[in-house]
Amino acid sequence: MRILVCFKVTPDFEALREADWVAGAAHGVETRYVRRILNCFDESALEMALRLSDTLAGRGVTVGLGALSVGGREAEPYLKTLHALGYERAARVHSEASLDFAPAVIAALIAGYVRRVDHSDLVMLGCRSGPGDSGTVPFLVAETLGWPCLTQVIEVEPLPDDRVRVACMVDDGILRVTLRLPCVLAVGNAVVSHLRVPTLTDRLARRNKRIDVFRAADLGVDIAAELRRETCVLAGLEGIHRARQGVIIGGATPREKARVLFDSHLKSMIEKL
Amino acid sequence: MRFAAILDGTIGTAPQQARALGDFLREGLIGDLVGETLVVYHDERDKQRLVELSPTRDVRLIKTPARRPDRMVEILTAVARGEGIPLFLFAGGSAGTELATRLACRTNGAVLTDALSIEVGPERLLCRKNVYSNHMVGRFELSARPRCVTIDACWKDGRSPTSLEHHVLSDTDETGGIGTTPFEDLELVDPPSTGDLAESRFLVVAGYGAGNREGVERIAEAARRMGASFGVSRPVAMNAWAAMDRLIGVSGTRTAPALCIVVGASGAPALHWGIEKAAFIVAIDLDERAPIVRNADAAVLDDGVVIVEELAEIIAAEVSR
Amino acid sequence: MHLSREAIVEGVQRIVGPEDVITDEEVLRESSHDRFRLYEDVHGVYTQPIPAAVAMARSTQQVAEVLTFANEHGINVVPRTGRTATEGGLETAVADSIVLDGSAMNQIIEIDTYNMQATCQCGVPLQVLEDRLREQGCTTGHSPQSKPVAQMGGLVATRSIGQFSTLYGGIEDMVVGLEAVFPDGTVTRIKNVPRRAAGPDIRHVIIGNEGALCYITEVTVKLFPYLPQNNVFLGYTLESMKTGFEILREVMVNGYRPSVARVYDPADAAFHFSHFAEEDQCVLLFMAEGPAGIAKATAEGIEAIVARHQECRKVDSEFIATWFNDLNWGPDKIAQEREEIRQTSNICRTTEISSDWGCINEIYENALRRVVNEIPDITMAGGHSSHSYINGTNMYFVYFYNVVDCEPEEEATKYHTPINRIICEETLLLGGSIVHHHGLGKARTPWVKDEYGSSYYILETLKRAFDPNGIMNKGTIIPK
Repeated sequence: MRILVCFKVTPDFEALREADWVAGAAHGVETRYVRRILNCFDESALEMALRLSDTLAGRGVTVGLGALSVGGREAEPYLKTLHALGYERAARVHSEASLDFAPAVIAALIAGYVRRVDHSDLVMLGCRSGPGDSGTVPFLVAETLGWPCLTQVIEVEPLPDDRVRVACMVDDGILRVTLRLPCVLAVGNAVVSHLRVPTLTDRLARRNKRIDVFRAADLGVDIAAELRRETCVLAGLEGIHRARQGVIIGGATPREKARVLFDSHLKSMIEKL
Repeated sequence: MRFAAILDGTIGTAPQQARALGDFLREGLIGDLVGETLVVYHDERDKQRLVELSPTRDVRLIKTPARRPDRMVEILTAVARGEGIPLFLFAGGSAGTELATRLACRTNGAVLTDALSIEVGPERLLCRKNVYSNHMVGRFELSARPRCVTIDACWKDGRSPTSLEHHVLSDTDETGGIGTTPFEDLELVDPPSTGDLAESRFLVVAGYGAGNREGVERIAEAARRMGASFGVSRPVAMNAWAAMDRLIGVSGTRTAPALCIVVGASGAPALHWGIEKAAFIVAIDLDERAPIVRNADAAVLDDGVVIVEELAEIIAAEVSR
Repeated sequence: MHLSREAIVEGVQRIVGPEDVITDEEVLRESSHDRFRLYEDVHGVYTQPIPAAVAMARSTQQVAEVLTFANEHGINVVPRTGRTATEGGLETAVADSIVLDGSAMNQIIEIDTYNMQATCQCGVPLQVLEDRLREQGCTTGHSPQSKPVAQMGGLVATRSIGQFSTLYGGIEDMVVGLEAVFPDGTVTRIKNVPRRAAGPDIRHVIIGNEGALCYITEVTVKLFPYLPQNNVFLGYTLESMKTGFEILREVMVNGYRPSVARVYDPADAAFHFSHFAEEDQCVLLFMAEGPAGIAKATAEGIEAIVARHQECRKVDSEFIATWFNDLNWGPDKIAQEREEIRQTSNICRTTEISSDWGCINEIYENALRRVVNEIPDITMAGGHSSHSYINGTNMYFVYFYNVVDCEPEEEATKYHTPINRIICEETLLLGGSIVHHHGLGKARTPWVKDEYGSSYYILETLKRAFDPNGIMNKGTIIPK
C-alpha cells in the first residue's frame, strides 16, 4: 500500500473581519493578510493515514506515506511537519495563478502527480475545502485516474490483499464497504480530526529531508490552458444579508421571558406544527 | 432550455430529493425552461411511488442495479450524449455530487454543486452558491454543456409538492451488462436519526454556551419535551458533549425548519449556514453582541439552559390542554 | 471547629439562600481546579479535593457573611469570578472548601466620563464593560487575552496586564478605588482619588492578593478616550531576539509609548506569522494609538529607531492589523483547544517572567536551552516579549509537549513543573522576577521565598495579619 494524502492550506476565513468581506470583486476576497490553517477535512485525512500506517506496521507491513499540496510556499511548514511525523514523501505543486475556484485544475495536478511521479494506490484527501467548497475534486481525480471513489469517509481500516474497509456517511445512513485498491477516499466528518504533533527531536532528525517542488508542466498540465478551458467560472461575489428583526424579549425573570417569548411569537407557530 | 431532473430511487432519500427538486424548480430556476424527471429505480415495487413523487409532469423510468453509481453515470452519459440535454439537476448530497461531477467529466460539460439558484438567459447560464464558508455568495457562469448541477440540499419550505398529473414517457431496463463493481460487502446502517434534523420543522440548536455536557443534555431534553429536533454547533460536537451526527452547519446538516431556537451559540457563519433557511429564528444567549442576536427574529438575553427549560414547560402545558 | 460537608452547605445556604448554593457533583469537580490542570480536566480527571459547595454571592454583605462563617469554622475559601486563572490559584487545595463565586455581582454601577472613572462589581466581564464604554467613546485600555471571559474582581486580584499595557499600564495603574472584604467580615472601601500621600498605598495590599488576603467586591478603574481611528500598526522581520530586545529598549528609553511593543522568536513567530515570516525569523511589531498627532509621532519615532538596525525588514501593516483583530480567546477557541488536546495529547503551556534589559536575552537563551535539553517530548519551545518598561521587559515563554506514557495526573510532575523550575531558576539567577502577570497561584509558590528574599517578611506578615486563621485560598502565594 502506498498512500498519498493531498491537503490544502487555506486562509483562516473566520479570522477575517466583517468589513473584509467585500462583495463585487470577481477575483475573490482579499485574504493575503490573514493567517493560514490546514483544511480540517484534510487534517483528518493526514492523521487517518498515519493511523493506517501504524496499524499496518503493527502487522509487519510498511506503508509509504506521501503528502502533496497545490499552491505556494505556505504549504512548506506543513510539509516539514509531515516529514517529521514520518511521511517519507512531501511535495508541492507550484502555481502562480490562484486556483481557488478551479477544482478541475487541482484534480488534473493531483492525478498528474500520482501517475507520473508518485505511483500511489490510495489517494486520501478532505471531501471539500474553501473557498469554493465544491466537493468535486475527489471525483475529478477519480475520473482522471479511472479509480473508484468514496466521499464523506469517516473510518478506514486496512484489510489483506490490498483492500480497505471503509465507513462513510451517505445520504441515507452510514455505509460500510470493502474496496480494492487503487481508490480515492475523500474524508468527511471523521471523529479523528487532529493531526498528531512531532517533537523537536523528530523535526531535527528529519530536517534535511527534501521537499519536492513541481511545476505543472512536470505533471503534464498546462495551467493557463486549463484555466482558459474552465467551464465553471466565478463571475462575481455578493454579500450575505442575514440580519433579521432581532427583537429583544423583556422580562424580570427567566420564566417571565419565556412566557413573553411564547405568547408574543411562538404560540401560533407551534400550534401549526 | 431543456433540463432533466434526476430522482435517484436507488437510495433511501427519494422523498427528500423530490421535495427539494420540486421547490427548486418552482423558485430557484429562473428563465425559460421545460424539463422532465429521470427516475432511477432498482425495485419494481418502488416505481409507482417514485413516479408520484416526481417534480415534473413528464417522467422517464430507468431501471438500474442498486447502489451502482458507476453504472448510473454510464447510463446518464449515454442519455446526455444521445439527446443533447443541456442541463441536469441533482438533489444535493454525496450521491448527487458524485453523479454530477462524473457526468460532467465524461461529457466535457460543466459541474457546480449546492446551487442556490440557476438563471438561464439567452447568452449564458448563471448559478449562485455559497462560498468562503458561507461568508459570501458567488455567481458562477457555466459555459459548457451539459451543465450538471446539484442543488443546495436545503430547498425545502415545507410546502407539499403540488400534485401533478404525471406522464410516463418510457421505462427502460438498464440492469444488464453491468460489469463488476469495485464495492464488496456493502452494509448500510440507518443513521442514529440524522434524518430528523434535515427534515425537521422545529429545531433546537445548542452551542458552546451550554457550558458542559450536562447543559447540552438539559437542552436536548427540553427540546424533546417541546417536540423539537435537537442539533448542536461544531464546538459542542468536537467536545463530545453530543454525537457528531447532531452537527448543524457547514460541516454538518443544513436545515430549514419553521422554527429554530438557538441556545448559547454565537451564530458564526459556519453554524448560521445550517439554520438560515429557518422561517423564524429565536436566539437565547447571554451576549447581546453575539451575531446570532441580530440575525434572529427574536432574542432572549439570559441563560439559555434555564430559558429553554422554562419554555419547554410552557409548551408542554399548552400542548396538553 | 471542623464542620462536616453537610454543615458547611447548610451554613452557606442560610446566608445566600439554597438556590445560590451549588452542590452538583460535576460542578464541584470542575470547580476544584483551573487551567493549570487543563490536561487533567480534558481527560475528566480531578485530583484536587472536591469543595463542599460553590456559593454564588449577590452582595458585599453576603460575601462578608460567608467569610465570617468560614473564618469562625476554619473553612478554606476560594474566591473566583471569571475562572480564567492559569496558575492553580483556583484550586481547592484543602478538603471541603467553599468556592465563593462573585460572577452574579455583575452590575456596572457607574460610568463617569467627566471624571474618567467607571465603577463596577467584581462579576462584571471586562468585555461587557469595555463594549459599554466604547459606545461612549471610552476604553479601560485593559485588554488581556482572556477579555471575553475574565471578570473585574479576578483581573484585579491577579495583577493582570493587557495587550496595550506599554501605553496604559497594568491593572495596578488603572485601579482608582476598591471595596474588599476581609476574612473577619470587615468591609473596607478605598475612595476614588487621583493620587494621595496619606501613608502607604494600601490598594496594593489588595491588588494582586490572589484571594489570599481578601475578597474584592467592587472596583473603580480609570477611563481613557477610545480613538481606534488613529491606530498605527508596524511590523518587521529580523534575525535575532537580541536585536529585538535592543530595539524594544531603545523605543522605551527614548521616551516612546506605543500601546503594543512585541518581539517574537522564530518558534513562536512560526505559529502566528508563517504567512509573512520565514522559518528562522523573529517578528517585531508595534501599535501606536491615542490622539492623532501622538500616534503618528510615536510611529515615526519607532520607525526611525528600527531603521538603524539593518537586519530589520518592514512588512505590510495590514498583516499586523489583521492579526490583532483575532487575538482573544473566546468560547469557540477554548472548545477547539480541548478537543485538540484530547486527540493529540499535545498541550501548550506558558511561563512569563520579567527582568531588566541587561539580563533578558541571557535569561531567554539559557532557559530555552535547558528546557529543550532537559525535558522530553517537547514539540515547540519559544516565546515573545510583550510588555516593556523603561527599565526592562517581560519574556513570555511558550512551549508545547506531547504527554507520553503518562497518566493525566502525572502530567504536571513530568513536564509542566520541571519546565517552570528551569525557567524560574534561570530567571532568579540573573535577578529577574519569576512571574510577570499570571500570578503566583499555587504553581510558582515553591519559589516565592527566593523571589522575595528578605522582603518575604512583609508578605508573610500581611498574611498573618489579615488571615490569621489561614482560610483564604490556602496554598496560593504563600505555600501551604
